[in-house]
Amino acid sequence: MRKLVPALLLLCAWAIAENPRTLAIRNAKIVTVSGPVIDKGTVVVRNGLIEAVGENLAVPAGAWVIDGEGMTVYPGLIDSLSTVGIPSLAPPPAGRGGRGQTTTTPAPPPSPATAPATAAAPVTPAKGPEDRPATTSWILAANEIDPSDHRIESVRSAGFTTTVTFPARAIFGGQGSIIDLASAERAGEMVVVPAVGQYLAVSRGGGMFGGFGAGFPNALMGYIAYIRQIYLDAEHYKLLKEAYAHSPRGMERPPYDRALEGVLESKRILLPANRVVEMDRMLRFAAELQQPVILYGMREAYRPEAAPLLKKYGSPVLVSMHWSEAPRDPDPEAYRTMRSLENIDQGPAAPGLLQKAGVPFALYSDGLDQPRELQRAVKKAIDAGLARQDAIRALTLSPAEIYGVADRMGSIEAGKIANLVVTKGDLFDDHTQIEMIFVDGKQYKPAPEPPAGGGRGATEEPGVSQ
Amino acid sequence: MKLLGILIGCGLAAGAASNNSVLIRGADVYPVTSAPVKGVSILVLDGKIAEIGAKIVVPKGVRVVDGKGLRVYPGMIDSGTELGLSEIEMIRETVDTGELGEFMPQLRALAAVNPDSEHFAVVRIAGITSVMTFPAGTGGGEGGGGRGRPPQYISGQAALIHTFGRTWEDMAVSGSAAVQVRFPILGPPGGRGGPVPENIAGLAGETGAVTFTEMTRTYQQEVAKLADFFDEARRYQKAKAANLPGFVRDLKYEAMLPVLDGKLPVAIAAATPRSIHDAIQFAEKQNVKIVIMQPRELGSAAAELKAKNIPVILGRVLALPRGQDDPYDQAFTLPGEAYKAGIKFAFGTFDNQFVRNLPYQAATAVAFGLPQEEALKAITINPAQIWGAGDQLGSLEKDKSADLMVTTGDPLEIQTQVKHVFIRGQEIELSSKQTRLYDKYLNRQ
Amino acid sequence: MRKSWIVALAALAPLYAQNIVIQNATIMTVTKGTLQGSVVIKDGKIAEVGEKVMMPQNATVIDAGGQYVIPGIIDCHSHIAVDGNVNEGSVSVSSMVNIKDVINPEDIAIYRALAGGVTTANILHGSANPIGGQTLVLKMRWGKDAQGMIFEGAMPGIKFALGENPKRSGNPQGGRGATQTAARYPATRMGVEDTIREALNEAKDYKAEWDEYGAKVARGEHPIPPRKDLKLEPLKEVLEGKRYVHAHCYREDEILMLLRVADDYGFKIRTLQHVLEGYKVAEEIAASGTGASTFSDWWAYKIEAYDAIPYNAALMQKKGIVVSLNSDDEELMRHLNTEAAKAMKYGGMNETDALAMVTINPAKQLGIDGRVGSIEAGKDADLAIYDKYPLSDYAKVQKVLIDGQLYFDRDSDVSGRPAKALEKQKLIEKEKQSQPKPAGGRRPVE
Repeated sequence: MRKLVPALLLLCAWAIAENPRTLAIRNAKIVTVSGPVIDKGTVVVRNGLIEAVGENLAVPAGAWVIDGEGMTVYPGLIDSLSTVGIPSLAPPPAGRGGRGQTTTTPAPPPSPATAPATAAAPVTPAKGPEDRPATTSWILAANEIDPSDHRIESVRSAGFTTTVTFPARAIFGGQGSIIDLASAERAGEMVVVPAVGQYLAVSRGGGMFGGFGAGFPNALMGYIAYIRQIYLDAEHYKLLKEAYAHSPRGMERPPYDRALEGVLESKRILLPANRVVEMDRMLRFAAELQQPVILYGMREAYRPEAAPLLKKYGSPVLVSMHWSEAPRDPDPEAYRTMRSLENIDQGPAAPGLLQKAGVPFALYSDGLDQPRELQRAVKKAIDAGLARQDAIRALTLSPAEIYGVADRMGSIEAGKIANLVVTKGDLFDDHTQIEMIFVDGKQYKPAPEPPAGGGRGATEEPGVSQ
Repeated sequence: MKLLGILIGCGLAAGAASNNSVLIRGADVYPVTSAPVKGVSILVLDGKIAEIGAKIVVPKGVRVVDGKGLRVYPGMIDSGTELGLSEIEMIRETVDTGELGEFMPQLRALAAVNPDSEHFAVVRIAGITSVMTFPAGTGGGEGGGGRGRPPQYISGQAALIHTFGRTWEDMAVSGSAAVQVRFPILGPPGGRGGPVPENIAGLAGETGAVTFTEMTRTYQQEVAKLADFFDEARRYQKAKAANLPGFVRDLKYEAMLPVLDGKLPVAIAAATPRSIHDAIQFAEKQNVKIVIMQPRELGSAAAELKAKNIPVILGRVLALPRGQDDPYDQAFTLPGEAYKAGIKFAFGTFDNQFVRNLPYQAATAVAFGLPQEEALKAITINPAQIWGAGDQLGSLEKDKSADLMVTTGDPLEIQTQVKHVFIRGQEIELSSKQTRLYDKYLNRQ
Repeated sequence: MRKSWIVALAALAPLYAQNIVIQNATIMTVTKGTLQGSVVIKDGKIAEVGEKVMMPQNATVIDAGGQYVIPGIIDCHSHIAVDGNVNEGSVSVSSMVNIKDVINPEDIAIYRALAGGVTTANILHGSANPIGGQTLVLKMRWGKDAQGMIFEGAMPGIKFALGENPKRSGNPQGGRGATQTAARYPATRMGVEDTIREALNEAKDYKAEWDEYGAKVARGEHPIPPRKDLKLEPLKEVLEGKRYVHAHCYREDEILMLLRVADDYGFKIRTLQHVLEGYKVAEEIAASGTGASTFSDWWAYKIEAYDAIPYNAALMQKKGIVVSLNSDDEELMRHLNTEAAKAMKYGGMNETDALAMVTINPAKQLGIDGRVGSIEAGKDADLAIYDKYPLSDYAKVQKVLIDGQLYFDRDSDVSGRPAKALEKQKLIEKEKQSQPKPAGGRRPVE
C-alpha cells in the first residue's frame, strides 16, 4: 500500500485530496471505547495509524482537516466471524434458501473438499477419518482473499472496517485471518493477521435414513469422532516428526500430512454451539482436545443456564446477530413450539445477559451483509437490554481482545490502526447516517443504500458455490 | 365342501347338524347392547344367534360348549386396517394398498383380499372377528400422495370383512362399506400437518416455510378439483336417471352413485380441528355421508361432530402427542374427550401388525378417562353401526351373526385368554402361523 | 415452558431430597416377592422394604394406599436423547462414534418415557452397519445436563447389527430407505459376517501392537506409542471383555453365526437385540450365556420378522435365557409394563417373571443389577408408582423416582398444564402483535 502511494499520486491527483497521508477530525465527539468518551476532540491520523487523540490537540501542518462538528467518531467495527473477502463463500441469494439466511453450522460441501473452489469432480465418499473428509485445515483465509468481493463495500458501508474472515468450509475449514476492508490492489495489503484459528463446523446429519450409504462422517457423532481422531493423529504425527528430525537414520519416514500440519499450526479452534446442550458439549470437547476455543452461534445464550456454563469455562463466544425471526405470513394454526417462540422472543436478549454475567463475547454478522440489516440487528440487541456502549464494544474492542489483537485495533488510541467510523447521530440508531469510514487511514464514503426490498440477491455473484 | 362354503357364505345353508350351530352353556354373557347376564346359555343356529337364556333345550345334533367360568362377548371389530391387502409392509410385492390414479372410487379392496394371509389367523384367534380394510392403507394417516407419487383424492372402496372365510366372497360382510377419500390438507406441501422437527424449525428461524397465502391457494385448487369430480359424478347420475341418448357407462362415476345417494359414507382422515371442519363442510356441501378418521385433536370440532352426528374412528390410542409441548397423554385422553363430547366413535389400530392389540388400545383409553363399557362398544356395536352392519354385527342379539368370543375375563385386559372364537357360528381353530411355530420350537429336540 | 417444568420440579425436589417413605403400597420387589407395606428411601437409596419399617426422622411420606410400587422400568433398547442421526451409516464399521458425545438431555422423549415408568435406558446406535457405534446407559434424569444423565459406572457397549438393515446400503436400489449413492459393502448376510470378522482381526492385531508397546514400556524402554485408532479401540475393549456387545439380529442363521464368531474371537455377545427368531435357537443362545432382548409382539413389518412370534420371550426364558422386553421406539417405551403383561398372555409367564423382563433382567443384561432392577435395600431408589395393578393396561403411572428424587408426578403434570398453555399463548399473542397483519382472512372452502 505504502509503496503504491507515489504511483497513485502521479496517476490521479484527486486521490490525494480524498486520502491524504495526514488528516485530522476536529470538534467531534469521540467514542474511544478503551477510555472515556471525549465530547469535543480531535483525532489525528498519519500513515494509516492514529497518531493522537484528545481534547485540545494541535492539528499538524499540512493535514487534511475534517470538521467533525455534530459528528461522532467510533473505532471501526469488527465482524468477528465472516467470510467477506472470499466470494465463493458468500451466502446464497435470497429466495433460494428461504430468506437467504445461513446457519451457523453450515453443512459440509457435498464432496470432501480437498481444495477450495475446485471444479466439482466426482469424489468417492470418504470411508473413514483416514480419507480426511471435508478437511482443508492447511488453508489460510489470507491466501484466498479476493479484493473484488462485492461484499467488502457493502459491509464497510455498515461501519465494518475489519472482518475476521474464515474459510468456512466444514469440517476443518482452515484458519481465519483478520482483514482490513480497504480497497486494495493486492489482497496482502488487507491482511492484518494471517492466522487466528481453525474454523470447525459440524452437521447434525441427514434425515431418518440419511445414515445409509453416504460418505463419512454423516451423523453428528461421526463429526465429533472424526475431529477427535484428527487431534489424536496430530499428536502422534508430532511425535513421529520429532523423532525423525532427531535421528532420521534407520527410521521409517513419516508421511507428510497437510491436514495434520494445518491443525498443529492453529493456536485456537472455533466450534459451533447454539443450544445450551451444544455449548456444554463443545466446551467439554475442546477441553478434551486441549485446545483454546471460541464458540460461535449462541442462539440460545439467553437461557438462564447458558451464562453460568460459559463463565465456568471462561471461553469467549461469538454471538450471531442473525436473530431468529417470526415466520412471515404463517399458517395461523401451524404448530409452534415454545422453544422456537422463546427463541424468536428472547434471542436478541442474549448479548445483554452475557454482558451482565461477564462472559467475554463479540457479535458477528452471520451472513447479514446489508448495512440496513446489520444496523437493525444490533439495534435489536440494544432494545433487548444491551447497553449501547457494550454493543459498540462487542463489535470493536471485544473481538480484538478475543483474537489477541487489541494492541493494534478495536479502540481509538494513539498507535492503533486508523480504522474509524464517523456518523451523524448515535451508531445503531434508526436514522443515524454513517458519513465516512476510514480503513488504514483511508477514507471511504458509504455506498448508496440499495432500493428497499432489493435484498442481497442483486449484489450476489451469480453461480457461487454454496 | 367348496360348494357348501359358498352356500354358507350366501346364507342359504340350513340344517341343525351343520358346523355353524352351537350351544355355549353356563357362561356370563355380555351382549354389549344390554346388561350382562351371568350363568346363562347362548344358542347359535345356522350361524345366527337364536337365543340367550337360562334354560335352553339343546336342539338335536347341536354341539355343546361348556362356558362355565367364561364370558361371551361379541367378536371385536377393527375400523382401521389393511388386512388381506398387505402381508409384509416393506415388501412391495406383498402389498396391494395404494393404487395409482387421482380419482379411483371404482377400486375394490375386497377383491384384493387374500384369504390365506397369515394375518387373519393371528387376528381372529385374538377375538377380532371383523375388520375394515382400506384401499389406500392406513399407516400413513391423512393426505394424498405418498412416497414420490402424485396426489390421490379418492382411493377406492373399503370393505367390511370377516377375518375368516375360504374366499373373499365368504369373508365379505359389506364389499363396499365406505369410499376412502383423501381430502386435501391445508398445510405445507407434502406435510401431514405435523409440527416441523424442533431442531430444524426452532433455531434456524423457520426458513423456507411456505406462506399461508401460498398454502391456501394450493389447498383451494385441490378442493376445487375434488369438488369438480363430485359435480361430474352428479351430472352422470342425472344423465343416467334421465336415460339420455348417448349415455356411456363410466366405472368411476358408477362407483360414486351410492355415495351421492347417501347410502355409502366417505371416510376421510383429518387430524386437526381445522381439517375436520373443512372435511365436514365439504361433505355437507356435497350432501354426502362422512366418517372422520384418525383425528389427533378434536378441540373446536368436537361440538360440530356431535351436533351433526358424524361418527369418528379413533386411533391409534397408543401414539405420541402431536407436538413436543403437548401433554404426554394427549392421544390416550382423546377417546375420553370424544365420549364426553357425545361423539359416536369406534377404534382402529391403523397398523396391520398390531390389529390384535385393538382391545389394549381401547383399554389405554379407559385408563385415561373413557368408561370401560364405552371402550367395549367402540370395538363392537359402534363400528358395526358406523359401517352399516348394525343389524348383523357388534352385539349379542337374536338373529345377529354369531360372531362371538369366549374369554376368561375382560377382553380389554391383556392377560385375558380367548378360549373360543366363532365367526358366523363356526368355531375357529385357535391356531396361527405363530402358535404352530411356538409348538414346533417349544418341543424342539 | 420447560422452564416452568423445572421450576415445578425444583419446588418438589426438596421435599424428596432426603428421606422418603412410600407407605400402604403393594410393593412388587421382583426379586423378593410382593408385599403390602412400605419402602424407606434414604439419600437416594432404598434403605428398607417391609410390611413394617422403621420410620426415619424428617421423612416425607408418600401415601400410596391402593397403589403399586415396582422397580423403575429399564429399556434395554432405545434411541432417545440422541442429537443428530442415530446412524453413522456411511461406513461398514462405525465403532469410532459414540452416543456419549451426542446425548441430548432436552429430548422430550425422556420426559415421556419417565411418564411411562422408565428410569433407565440403554441408548444404542442404529443398525445401518454390521458394527455400529458405542452405546451407553442413561438414567432418565429429566432436567439434568448431559453428564447428569449418564448411569455412573455402567459398562459401555457397542452396537452390532445383522441381517436386512446393515445390508441395505449394499443394495441401494432395493428396499425402503435406500439411497441413490453407490453400494456400500456388505450386501448379504455373508458379507455381514465377513465385515465383523475382518474388523475383529484388525482389532486383534491392534491389541497385539499395544500389548507389545506396553511390554516395552514395562521393560523401561521409551518407544513411540502406536497410533491410537478410535475405530479399533472399542473393539479392542470388546476382546478384553471391557465393553458389551449388543447385537441387532432377527433370523436364526445370523444369530448362530454371531455366537460362533464370538466364540472364535474369545468374547461373549452380551445381548442379542430383537432376536425375533431366538426361539428357534434358544438352546444355543442359552448355552453361550448370552442375553436376549426382544419385542413382545412385533411381526411381519419386514421379511426377517415374518416368523416372529409373541411367544418368543416366554419360550427363550423357559429355555434358560435371561430375557428382556424392549421398546426400540419412543412411544412403546411408555408402556413397557403392558409389554411385560403380554409375556403372561403369550406363553404363560408368571407375574414375577414377566415383570422381571422389564426390570431385573435388563439390569442383568446391562450389568447394573447391583444398582437397579428390583426393590431391595441398598439399591438405587428408582421406583415407579402405578394407580392400579401394573401388569394391566388399565394402570397408569402416578409418580416416578430416580435416586430417591421425584422426576415425574402425574398430578403436578396435569395441574401445571393450564399455566403452560397460557405462557405459550402469551408468546404467540406477543408475536402476532409485533407483526404486520397479512391481508385476507380465512379462505372459504370450495
